[in-house]
Amino acid sequence: MTAVLEDPVEPVEVAVPARPRVFARGKGLIGLVLVGVVVLAGLVGPLLVPWDPYAQLPDANLLGPSGAHLLGTDDLNRDVLARLLAGIRVDLLISFTAVPVGALIGCAVGALATVNNVLDVAVQRLFDVLLAFPQLILAIGLAAVIGPGTSSVMVVVVFIEIPVFGRLLRAAVLKVREAQYVTAAEVVGARKAHVLRTHVLPNSLEPVLVQLALSMSVAVFIEGAMSVLGIGVSPPEPSLGAVLKTALGYLDLNPLFAAGPLVVTAVLVLGFQLIAQAANAARGA
Amino acid sequence: MTRYLLRRAPSALIVLWLASVLIFLVIRAIPGDAAAVLAGADAPPEVVAAIRHDLGLDLPVVSQYLHWLGGLFTGDLGRSYLIGGDIADLVGAGLGNTLTLTLAALVIAVLVALLLGPLWAATRNRWVDRALTAFHTAAVALPTFVTGVVLIIVCGVWFRVLPTGGVPPKGMFDRLDITAQYLVLPAVCLALPVAGVLTGFLAETLRAELRQDYITTVTAAGVRRREVVVRHALRGALPVVVTTLGLQTGSLLGGAVLVESIFSWPGLGLLVEQGITRRDYPVVQVLLILSVAVFVLVQLLTDVVHAYLDPRVRLGGKA
Amino acid sequence: MNVLPRRATLRALAAAALLLTTAACQSAVDAQTAPAGASAAPKSGGVAELGVNLDLVPANLFTNSNVSITTVVGLVYDSLVRYDRQKLEAKPRLATAWEQADGGSTLNITLRKGVKFHSGREFTSADVKFSLTSYADPKWNGQLAGTAKTITAIETPAPDKVVLKLAHPVSNLLDLLDTVPIIDSETAAEIGTGKKFVGTGAFKFDSWRPNTDLTFSRNDDYWGGKPYLDGVHVRVIPDAQSLAAAVKSGQVQLARGVGYRDAEAAEAAGGLKAIPLEGAELQAYVGINVSAPGLDDPKVRHAIAYALDKERIVKEVYRGKGYPVSLPWPRTSPAYDQELDNRFRRDVAKAKSLLAEHGAALPEVPLAYPGTDGVQANIAQIVQNNLAEVGIAVKLEPVDSTQFIKQLIGAQFPGLWVTNHSWAQFTPSTLTVSAYPFNAKRNSSHFSSPAYTAAADNAWKLPDATGAAATAAYKELSNQLLDGTFLAEIGVVFEQVVVRDGLQGVDWTRRRELDLSKAFLA
Repeated sequence: MTAVLEDPVEPVEVAVPARPRVFARGKGLIGLVLVGVVVLAGLVGPLLVPWDPYAQLPDANLLGPSGAHLLGTDDLNRDVLARLLAGIRVDLLISFTAVPVGALIGCAVGALATVNNVLDVAVQRLFDVLLAFPQLILAIGLAAVIGPGTSSVMVVVVFIEIPVFGRLLRAAVLKVREAQYVTAAEVVGARKAHVLRTHVLPNSLEPVLVQLALSMSVAVFIEGAMSVLGIGVSPPEPSLGAVLKTALGYLDLNPLFAAGPLVVTAVLVLGFQLIAQAANAARGA
Repeated sequence: MTRYLLRRAPSALIVLWLASVLIFLVIRAIPGDAAAVLAGADAPPEVVAAIRHDLGLDLPVVSQYLHWLGGLFTGDLGRSYLIGGDIADLVGAGLGNTLTLTLAALVIAVLVALLLGPLWAATRNRWVDRALTAFHTAAVALPTFVTGVVLIIVCGVWFRVLPTGGVPPKGMFDRLDITAQYLVLPAVCLALPVAGVLTGFLAETLRAELRQDYITTVTAAGVRRREVVVRHALRGALPVVVTTLGLQTGSLLGGAVLVESIFSWPGLGLLVEQGITRRDYPVVQVLLILSVAVFVLVQLLTDVVHAYLDPRVRLGGKA
Repeated sequence: MNVLPRRATLRALAAAALLLTTAACQSAVDAQTAPAGASAAPKSGGVAELGVNLDLVPANLFTNSNVSITTVVGLVYDSLVRYDRQKLEAKPRLATAWEQADGGSTLNITLRKGVKFHSGREFTSADVKFSLTSYADPKWNGQLAGTAKTITAIETPAPDKVVLKLAHPVSNLLDLLDTVPIIDSETAAEIGTGKKFVGTGAFKFDSWRPNTDLTFSRNDDYWGGKPYLDGVHVRVIPDAQSLAAAVKSGQVQLARGVGYRDAEAAEAAGGLKAIPLEGAELQAYVGINVSAPGLDDPKVRHAIAYALDKERIVKEVYRGKGYPVSLPWPRTSPAYDQELDNRFRRDVAKAKSLLAEHGAALPEVPLAYPGTDGVQANIAQIVQNNLAEVGIAVKLEPVDSTQFIKQLIGAQFPGLWVTNHSWAQFTPSTLTVSAYPFNAKRNSSHFSSPAYTAAADNAWKLPDATGAAATAAYKELSNQLLDGTFLAEIGVVFEQVVVRDGLQGVDWTRRRELDLSKAFLA
């Protein structure tokens, strides 16, 4: 798993082709459908499954898949399907809150730092340091400090995303500044903040959106990885990673326990990546 | 070349130093007291205090940091609180296993990329192209823990053909054929994302190379397309391969933690996990700074090699 | 020049070679399931391979706190006496005879002659004095240090005679003699660093590589007869799953720290047995901070005890390796009383009515557990579920092991906690004067009651651990424990060692120390 998109996410100065059509075709459409299916399952699924994801059912220890329990029951006698669907909600919650928050902070810091040279150097070094930690290792270190739990996973994701978006926006600012019309605006005497607002931000929106989709998949990955390492969401809360972690202890008993979280994680991550790839390709189109 | 290195080295050093400060401070902030654990459940406070003193935990933070930093330079990595023993020994024991795993993964990744990249660039068959696109997307996107568990289920539970965890009973070098079998699943799992990214970049670069004038000339001279790809374009694509590999170090290091955990491979990744769950600060500190150092060094090395392969970077400063 | 066909040929050759080697080489999976011999006659030779999930912490050598420590102590050291595992009857070890005098205030001990330390030095009464004194040193955190401190003087009239003078008679003095490892005074300073462990046991300590392994070799001069095994090699395999894999594959012949369900599955696959360490019982319990709001009412604490589904925890979490109890005593304990022990059987209605009597609604109660311990995490979730059923809301708080111990010592748990305790398998008074959760003077529950303190003291100061007076004292103690319910017992459970059929004659002490002096590889 990697956050590096093979096409470098460099912002382009001028780009206004009619891209929704290009985007919707092929990869983008598949990606949207994949993510849509998982989101739908997370939203509607829990209403359709008769079991409570937290209910410990009597005499239902580690049952295999059956009509009553489509994916079986876990070591604490809970319906695995119900937990999987509830777990999707937790992962979506993490992705759709932590990533935008990290993006906002990162963009703000990245853009504002360019106003002052000293500040810029300081922030750049800070980003350098944060980016020098492999993502998962940064996650482990942070989780060690703040302890496990859903909110910790969110904090970790925010921290991972801040330098990513900070860099992105800074690059956008620098690129746009070199563009002639900005130089022109500056010559005319427009204030830096004004330039930032009217010229830089609109132009950097696209790479940010691409990175958002990419970062969503990173968030799902981080949640799963942290749970597998035992520092993710805390019990009894379900999440994709938590359901998988439980299944890992019982692979020899029934490998299908792991099927649910594996498939959903794969679909979700693939979906986000395809959307990002398609959006990126569309930008260049 | 040396001048280029000198220009790039200071910023790498600053990053390393800042990282060491950050790691040291963050690790201090972790709740939980190693002395209390060492002392055991019934220890009176004075015993805990004595242990704190023995471990140097009662010194001011700055002198603890300087002491640690000095140790790093002299090769004295300190002593583990809880796992026990000299950290240099612990790291040494884990390092061999992690290197074996990572190198195996790198070899697999490069082989796969060298095989599939040119194929993808040269193919005119729609289905081959689609299959490779699918492979590329999946390999890049799928988390290692997903592929790892799938590999375990398929090769270890359904078809019991390969061991799914641990290291060979009699050591790595006892029987290489046995070692290879233990190595294959974790290495493939670790290699997959790198292989995917590498294949993608390689194919992309090859396609660009194929559009270059000299290729057209060669093709016009009657050389077959496959041969053009392998003999001419591949050489031009080499810098890209190197740079990509360098950029993937982070994913390899992070991936190793997960892969070692899933496949119970007793390397540095498992040691990090252990150190964190047991609140063994000195071990975690050393491993974190080590991973940052490797990452920063590989980036630097990549830049240097890239500059060597691509004179525009070396001489012009900015390409 | 046509390059590609040559490359293609090379590639095909390489692939063929790979296929051939794969076909020719031995499958690592097949090697795992190779059957072991099953002869029962002891034979000499071979090194036993052991796997443990936790590494040694030398500074805790006297605390019985983990599988590595109990393995090292069992292999290297001897004690003066050793309890039978079925009943509390002390058998001679380094002491051959002992008798009380002065109504229990003096104990005369006769030592075995001709015993040598691994260093070659003769074992004498001075070593007993040194070992008992060391054990009482707070630095080592010996669990029975309280009992050791009642020894006011240790006299050594002859190399094979020791006289212990006590401040007052205690019923658990033999527990102390069973527990204290006899250490070599000349190398004792090196125990803390893990460099040297010198004892009189069946195996000599050779080396310890932290986080890697421990090696031991046979003690040819062992007083109990030359061991069959040439040596013992203990590997540290911190990951529970790989530990299970290691014993299934035959990489190790004995594993300590395999998960309960993993052990069950491995046993079903054949070739090995999961042996519960009977006689060395542990107790799973829910601790209660009696100073927390709501939990200060004994009715609420009783309600908690009635609400627990102990049968389910023992069956599903411990996979049946144990039995539910209301009191700490295992069935073999002189304090075991079936009627009293049945007090808190699961009764949701009763729990609800007790809570109704309490009146005011309880605030949400925090429940702490060691977060990295899968067994305790599952128990915590079942307890949360059980208590929710009777109307007590519980918030789970995973705590890492360092914090957990710190909070246990400091009595800092804000509400409930789950973990294990031990020491109820010894003389009953040992539990109430030694085990931290039960200590009448200072415990993690903040519980104190004159009646409990008196009952604990009475049981301790008995000159004899059995008999009518003792039974009455234990009954009173049990009643105090049930009335106070400052911790709710879940069940007596067993550590289990997973042993391959090839390794036979494995023995252990009441403190889970491994004894391989009669073990052999079939």
